[in-house]
Amino acid sequence: MILRTEKLTKRFAGLKAVSTVNLQVAEGEIHAIIGPNGAGKTTLFNMLTGEIEVSAGDIYFNEKKITGLKPNQIARAGIGRSFQQNKLFQSISVLENVRLAVHAHSEGHFNPLLHFLSYTKPIEKAWKILEELDISSIADKEAGELSHGQQRMLEVAIALAAEPAVLLLDEPTSGMSPEGAFRMIRMLEKIGDRLTMVLIEHNMNLVMSISSKITVLQQGEVIATGNPSEIKNNEVVRRAYLGEYSR
Amino acid sequence: MFEAALGKKKPLVDREILILGALLMLLPMTLPYKTLAAEILIYSLGAVSFNILLGFTGLLSFGHGALFGAGAYTTGLVLIHLGWHPLIALVCASTMGAVVALFIGLLSIRKVGIYFVMLTLALNQLAFFLVYQWKGLTGGDDGLLNVPRPDFGLFPGLQLPIQTNLQFFLFAWLIFMIAIILIRRILNSPFGRVLVAIKENPDRALAVGYNVRQYKLAAFVISGFFTGLAGGLYAMFMRMVPITSVELFTSSDFIIMSLLGGLKSLYGPIIGTLIVKIASEALSQIWARWLLLLGATFVLCVLYMRGGVWGLAESFYKKRKQAEVKK
Repeated sequence: MILRTEKLTKRFAGLKAVSTVNLQVAEGEIHAIIGPNGAGKTTLFNMLTGEIEVSAGDIYFNEKKITGLKPNQIARAGIGRSFQQNKLFQSISVLENVRLAVHAHSEGHFNPLLHFLSYTKPIEKAWKILEELDISSIADKEAGELSHGQQRMLEVAIALAAEPAVLLLDEPTSGMSPEGAFRMIRMLEKIGDRLTMVLIEHNMNLVMSISSKITVLQQGEVIATGNPSEIKNNEVVRRAYLGEYSR
Repeated sequence: MFEAALGKKKPLVDREILILGALLMLLPMTLPYKTLAAEILIYSLGAVSFNILLGFTGLLSFGHGALFGAGAYTTGLVLIHLGWHPLIALVCASTMGAVVALFIGLLSIRKVGIYFVMLTLALNQLAFFLVYQWKGLTGGDDGLLNVPRPDFGLFPGLQLPIQTNLQFFLFAWLIFMIAIILIRRILNSPFGRVLVAIKENPDRALAVGYNVRQYKLAAFVISGFFTGLAGGLYAMFMRMVPITSVELFTSSDFIIMSLLGGLKSLYGPIIGTLIVKIASEALSQIWARWLLLLGATFVLCVLYMRGGVWGLAESFYKKRKQAEVKK
């Protein structure tokens, strides 16, 4: 398992947002986490990336315990993430947004004495990522000027900059137009060939079409895990959540 | 667009720097008093250094009076008691500025927002009372008097006096230009670009993998280094160190100068200093309450002109360019 949790729990003032979750993500998987609103999906994510503290339980990345590490340490270890709300560097260009993310993981980013353009590798790599995601045409635009869909793509580009072994995506298609969502799905499939992905998603078409494994959360607990067809046919899940979709 | 710039050598001194140097050289010729020219350079350096934090890292510090004062008293004491070379006295000032900044930074950077601001303010007050109480060393309320201004020689046989106002202006200009070249390079370095990213969105900078606190602390120390340098020049310029140099008002002066000139540009604070210093010189003779006017201008700037004078000029220039393109 490249990423797994052991009895991972988060309490907020007595309320269990995530309760003894054992998540198992194998290398190369596209693993979807689904569940109704308030099921604890984002809380689970935030614990995996170190953004909120773990109340109990442990997280293992490549069988090394990473519980309690800070977000930047976890990012450095190889777990990248995108955010549900856009948290871009708004008045900085698209290319620079990605370059900053790339340079964080290579040498010289603390150097105050050389011009940043002297470091050509981060810029070239940032450009490559933009080309891979087919958004190099907007490289000069400020992130704040982009459409919602473009901002989500940039989110993914920034997450890829760290060359993560595991990429966590929080609702990559939320608020997108159908065409935008379609483009995003195609792109995720493409990059899913070369890395492990864990995603939170409400769009069931997306979940069923691209994920290889699904974990269903309800009220902070895992109620089912399996491949898409298993989940579709799972009685508990049907009753709890999928009802409409499986009909 | 970036391919053209890639791989090309980035010289430290280019046209921009040469123009700036030439323009500043005009100061002693155009201003009524040559002392004002040197004073503008010194406060400009302080404001530019301060703006490394406010304009480029997003940290509002009220502690820069303490840093400026640290440099001024250090240079004063070194020149009075040790009689060292003026350049070494200035290096001591910068170092002391950086050390005090490290101290203030370590204590305040763990907090953000208003708590950070309040901590820097409190620490500046602490520094003031320390200087005020330690009469034996600092002269207390009277200030540190009789700071000598030894000749400036690079090697034996070449002694350049810096006694007259013009001579001292040239000396200050040289130090100022070296400092600006260094600060400009720092802001254009990978390090400097991360600072701007932190100003934009510290959470994202952390998520992307930058140690935000470490960067903020380093920015504080660098800012302190150059503010201390400005303070050192000030001690030599005044031939004394007034206790006002370490006061909170010095901190707020830097804030006003930076905001008025424009936070987003390296050169904005220089323009702000020019305006404040010339206005105070001209108006203080006509009207004793001229500070009211400065305060009002400051409020207007914050409300309606967030980019300061530099930002205004920039948007004007952009609009004209766009109009030309349309034609």
